Amino acid sequence: MRDPYSRSVKGALYSMLFVSVCCAVLTVLLTSCSANLPIQRDAQQAEEGVLATQYSIVCIIHGDGDYLYHDTSGNEYYADEEALAGVKRVAQQNPHAEVFIFHQRPRRHFLFFFPLHDGEFYYYRNGRLIANELYWRDQEQLHFDPEVGLYRRFRADNQHKMVSLFLYFGHEIPEVGGAGYDASYPDRPFTIHDLAGELKGFTRDSARFDLMVLSTCFGGTPYTIDTLGSFARYIIASPGNLHLSYFDLHSLERLDLSLQDGDVHAFAKRFAYQAFDRLTRNIQTAVSVSVYDVNRVQEYVHAVHGVYDETLTTLKGETRSIATIEHCDCADIPAYVLPTMNEGIDVFYRPARFGRSKLKQNHSGWECWKDLQPQGATSQTTESVLK
Amino acid sequence: MKTRMAFGSIVMMFVLALPVHAGGKGDLQKYFSDAANKVKATDNPSEKRAILNESFHTMSKALDIVQNSPLISKDDRVGIARFKATLQEKQDELAGTNGYTRVSDSQLNAFSDYVVQDAEQAEMVTISLLVLVLIIILIVLIVR
Repeated sequence: MRDPYSRSVKGALYSMLFVSVCCAVLTVLLTSCSANLPIQRDAQQAEEGVLATQYSIVCIIHGDGDYLYHDTSGNEYYADEEALAGVKRVAQQNPHAEVFIFHQRPRRHFLFFFPLHDGEFYYYRNGRLIANELYWRDQEQLHFDPEVGLYRRFRADNQHKMVSLFLYFGHEIPEVGGAGYDASYPDRPFTIHDLAGELKGFTRDSARFDLMVLSTCFGGTPYTIDTLGSFARYIIASPGNLHLSYFDLHSLERLDLSLQDGDVHAFAKRFAYQAFDRLTRNIQTAVSVSVYDVNRVQEYVHAVHGVYDETLTTLKGETRSIATIEHCDCADIPAYVLPTMNEGIDVFYRPARFGRSKLKQNHSGWECWKDLQPQGATSQTTESVLK
Repeated sequence: MKTRMAFGSIVMMFVLALPVHAGGKGDLQKYFSDAANKVKATDNPSEKRAILNESFHTMSKALDIVQNSPLISKDDRVGIARFKATLQEKQDELAGTNGYTRVSDSQLNAFSDYVVQDAEQAEMVTISLLVLVLIIILIVLIVR
């Protein structure tokens, strides 16, 4: 005769197993569906939308890394999620813009085995969400291939008539190395050079973005501005550290009003000042926001190109480690102090309220690398290794 | 019977398992943010200083333990050394030693925000995730 207790235990286990499997199957089915919204194919409606679209914004939000920060009340935020909310607001508030938003998220798995999409795309036109798709940031492809593909599918035809903006939110984009930038794809490097290579996909006929906004740390280096300057007329970047609350985006709402006169440089300065003003209210660390007129800074970046290139070559060298170099104001290094240093650049800077750098009252707007190791020590180290 | 039970248990674990939180730098930031909240929760400057000093001291102790471990990589050792140096500078500034002007009582709240925000800047902490998790575990043990 069977033990009734054993029978009830077995029955309970089978029930739990059945429920578990059903939940798993249901969840897999739900998560494998992408959030696709139908594209409005009505020809008349599309044509009306295109005619009214005067601004184009491409926005890449990197979220595959450490993006947690706290406000002064101790509330937690994720920088990429906050940036996404801000850019969505910009998209919704601009009746005459098309906005492409690419949110690059960490790679995750369901039940440890089933991969989930790690990229989400939003396309807004004339203030309305037209498309929302999940996509794969495939490790096999070049960094922005999926994003460029989505951009080309949805972009309006009259690109050459639009004022175009490119926004990037994320950690400092390395100038050398770049491995580990994506936490999910640590073997795939991402550098400024890689970003420049991919920007070609978002421009056509050698056109440049009217304005590029780099919401990253240390974006205002001679190398970065020189490299990305091929793709933008004006660049807004932080030469120093940038708090993860990034640049304020309210200036981008209602571009039809704030950019009505078409003066992109003036608009860029207003944007930079507003971002600076908001950051200085709550941030106790140093705040720096610069506007670079790409054409006017060319003389300076070309003049210092050689010496900066030497620094990058040194950084790539095997005898160097991160302990021996750090960022600094280019004005602190005599080789970079040239008469053209201040041409074509508007700098908004406030020193840190504490720490040694609170004594630094000015910033040139250009960020460089400083070698912490004396030259003699380096030579001795190399010789001892060779011996 | 046993096979079925084992299979069922495994499936249950998968279904009920919570997402694994890698912790690391986020927990480090949370540690300083919690300290900042405690600083702002009291009006007594002496208590504020004691809370800040205790947070620096506990973190330094954990870093010392990890740094002395033979399992730590050279890059992590360097990263820990730099982190310890920045902590020491903050302690010096709080106390007004080593060339620093002492943080005034009225600035202690702002100083606690500075500590949090400095920790949240990516370049401050260049330590591997594994070592960061180890540091957080040690802090929890030390505080107990």
